[in-house]
Amino acid sequence: MEMASQDAELRAALFRFVDVTPACRSLDDLARHLAGYLEEVDDRPPPIEAAMKMSGTKPGRAALGAAAAAGVRHMAHRFIVGESPKAALKAIRHLWDNGAAVSLDLLGEATVTQAEADRYADRCMDALETLAGAAPSWPERPVLEADSIGRLPRVNLSVKVSALTPLLRPEAPEVGREDAARRMRPLLVRAKELGAHLHIDMESVDTVEATMGLVFELLDEPELREGPSAGVVIQAYLRESPQQLEQVLDWAAATEREQPLVVRLVKGAYWDHEVVDARQHGWIPPVFEEKRDSDRNFEALTRRLIEAWPHVRPAIASHNLRSVSHAVAVARELGREDRDVEFQVLRGLGDDLAAALADLGHRVRIYCPVGDLVAGMAYLVRRLLENTANESFLGEQQRGTPIEELLAAP
Amino acid sequence: MSFRNEPVLELRRAPARESLLDALKELDARLPLHVPVSVGSDRPGRDTFDSTDPGQPDRVVATAGRSNEQDAAAAVEAAEGGFGEWSARPAAERAQVLRAAAQILRERRLELAALQVRECAKPWPEADGDVCEAIDFLEYYALEAVALDEGRSLVQVPGERNTMRYAPRGVAVVIAPWNFPLAIPCGMTAAALAAGNAAVLKPAEQSPASAGALVDALHAAGVPRDALSLLPGYGEVGAALVRDPRVHVIAFTGSSAVGLEILRASADTPEGQGHVKRVVSEMGGKNCVLVDADADLDEVVPEVVYSAFGYAGQKCSAAARVLVHEATADTLLERLAGAIRVLDVGQADRFATEVPPVIERESQERVERYAAMGPVLAEAETALPAEGWFCPPRLMADLPDDSPVLNEEIFGPLLAVSRVRDMDEACDVVDALPFALTGGLFSRSPRTIERVAARMPVGNLYVNRGITGAMVGRQPFGGNRRSGIGSKAGGPDYLLQFVEPRVVTENTMRHGIPVE
Repeated sequence: MEMASQDAELRAALFRFVDVTPACRSLDDLARHLAGYLEEVDDRPPPIEAAMKMSGTKPGRAALGAAAAAGVRHMAHRFIVGESPKAALKAIRHLWDNGAAVSLDLLGEATVTQAEADRYADRCMDALETLAGAAPSWPERPVLEADSIGRLPRVNLSVKVSALTPLLRPEAPEVGREDAARRMRPLLVRAKELGAHLHIDMESVDTVEATMGLVFELLDEPELREGPSAGVVIQAYLRESPQQLEQVLDWAAATEREQPLVVRLVKGAYWDHEVVDARQHGWIPPVFEEKRDSDRNFEALTRRLIEAWPHVRPAIASHNLRSVSHAVAVARELGREDRDVEFQVLRGLGDDLAAALADLGHRVRIYCPVGDLVAGMAYLVRRLLENTANESFLGEQQRGTPIEELLAAP
Repeated sequence: MSFRNEPVLELRRAPARESLLDALKELDARLPLHVPVSVGSDRPGRDTFDSTDPGQPDRVVATAGRSNEQDAAAAVEAAEGGFGEWSARPAAERAQVLRAAAQILRERRLELAALQVRECAKPWPEADGDVCEAIDFLEYYALEAVALDEGRSLVQVPGERNTMRYAPRGVAVVIAPWNFPLAIPCGMTAAALAAGNAAVLKPAEQSPASAGALVDALHAAGVPRDALSLLPGYGEVGAALVRDPRVHVIAFTGSSAVGLEILRASADTPEGQGHVKRVVSEMGGKNCVLVDADADLDEVVPEVVYSAFGYAGQKCSAAARVLVHEATADTLLERLAGAIRVLDVGQADRFATEVPPVIERESQERVERYAAMGPVLAEAETALPAEGWFCPPRLMADLPDDSPVLNEEIFGPLLAVSRVRDMDEACDVVDALPFALTGGLFSRSPRTIERVAARMPVGNLYVNRGITGAMVGRQPFGGNRRSGIGSKAGGPDYLLQFVEPRVVTENTMRHGIPVE
């Protein structure tokens, strides 16, 4: 991976390879694709050159394909916690034993048909049931199970609106919102019955209006007033995120729901998509183009969010040590107990940070993708891009950037 | 100065959507609009015809003067006069006039988009895109014309001076279609004017009001009335213009039948016609999207669906066929079918509408005729509105090779999928078609992309994306083979068709002494 970070061309080749892996029909096909991408790299290091040579013969391709497939699978396992919720239970229990809660995220193909939306909703239902069936046997973990407001669900599932409907259209958000609502409602009802938490993820800007509208509308329905615990996401890389957060806080202050909304604050994972999409249309990108502006905004929103407690439950999701430390400091300055701010990280990327935070007595939740290799690829590629982006905290850390520089105020 | 595309509205934002709905309300209050025949000055007092809303055929959008053969002759005569004045202006000054027209369109963009929603049932994002494309053509050709005016550099040797410059041809006739009711007439007219020609515009009878708005903008910006006439009307006016011996250039976009007829008619050089006519003809297509086994179907499905059914398939660039690798065909068909079933068929003024009505009754009947030629695998499940020329988007698959559905241009919301052994066979299929306008390829193999790109005869090949939506300056657009004569609208070669090159070689020696 470090080699990939150093060479943009090589990185692109490897990403394209990871991306196509699920669609390859044989090891031979896999090796041909790999060679095709590597061919486009001008300056090939010796191991890559050797791989190219192997691709010249049929047995060579079989060997190269097998090695590459194993490599990708190995990498995927680092990020994906299991092929199904059931298969993931062991790993989830292991994390719980070690002091970390999880939020499960079901990976899948894009939803373009009603049948696919139904299947995703069924998988969500199955995940809720599976987790709720297993969770009672987990040992007591007071830090993970309560804050000073009250109990926190052991079962926590993140869902994507774009997977719950094939009808999300940026210029007609109400259509997708309504279609997703009819699948989201039974999930919320079941989560309430099971005492589970349902977190509605945020995706690209094209879906923000539909997602926000859906959350506000559904959670205010009378039958959902007493539960379940639910959450939304604010993406700090969005220029509009301060206004979005105010909207959420206004809603949270006004709602008659019993459980405070969990607000997960992230930087955002669609940066390249948003910038390219805006540039191609001649629009001002909806995201901050300088990383430091996102970091600064993240800190401002962190403060606003922790100030707003107990109307909302803050969840700070970042791998950036500075952002995380800042949140701890702000919480203490505002007189909050440590357990009133949750920290969230991604499986495979934030594992060390999660362990350190857990050791310090903070509540940590690990966002765990579940799904097969095919389904996981798009997700994986995005995670990899973020991880090896030149400016990412983890990338910098890996390259040995001095800690003072990494922790400098944005 | 460099060119950049006019940004489309950010319709994912509610205020942008509301601004368009407000503009529509204002427009509706003013309907029907009146579009006069304009030759030198407005020529009222003649027969009229109406353009109507394809989604509500009893709504008259515009009442236009119906020009006749005498108007055509008068327009060409006026153009001969206007040509002198217009061509005498420096290229930079003409470019400035076009830019001023672009600015007028920019200021009226909401209203002009609303007009397309009503007159052509163009859904909002595409109506807005069309207005932007019209602005782009004006700005782009303004820049290109100034550059062209510099001429080309030639080899020079001692004792002689060689120059190559471009001169306008004279009178240009523009015959435009309704499917891009502002952009296409604007592109052809702007190119003719930018290069210094006078122009006579004959818009499609389905969309006179958009053409009227274009001509108004150009006149208001400073194009002399005589240098630009507007002749709303039917085919007989176009035919008269094409026949007129005083016409130098004919720029046409439309059906193959009409395009070929124009080429035949304009080849005639009757007694007294001192030139050969130049024809720019953009015609039909039967555009294929190739899907290899390694394609990312998550991308293929939405991109193909939009390419095939956006604006009800009524774009020359629209996808008519998919040629899919047999290994992935079943999955693709299942997902395409599901995606087509949920398409929202409705009135163009709803933001949710994905498939609007087709332009007129004849179109509806034509599409239905083709749809009856084989089993329909899937069609949209939304109830069709009671009135309007609606056709549900449909998917057909595995038709016999000689099916007319696979070989003729349908120009409506009907997509046919065929299986192929590999991409080479897919290229053979494309190669056997007479058309070569746009094409698509979904593949994640660099080698396959290279091989297919080398084999596809189409004018515009799109790789791993939809095949519609060419942008001025970014995707110069136009077809090969029987789809067109290879001109590329919105590209660096386009203006050359509206000028004639002149080379001057001067001997600079006087009695053995160079006098440079």
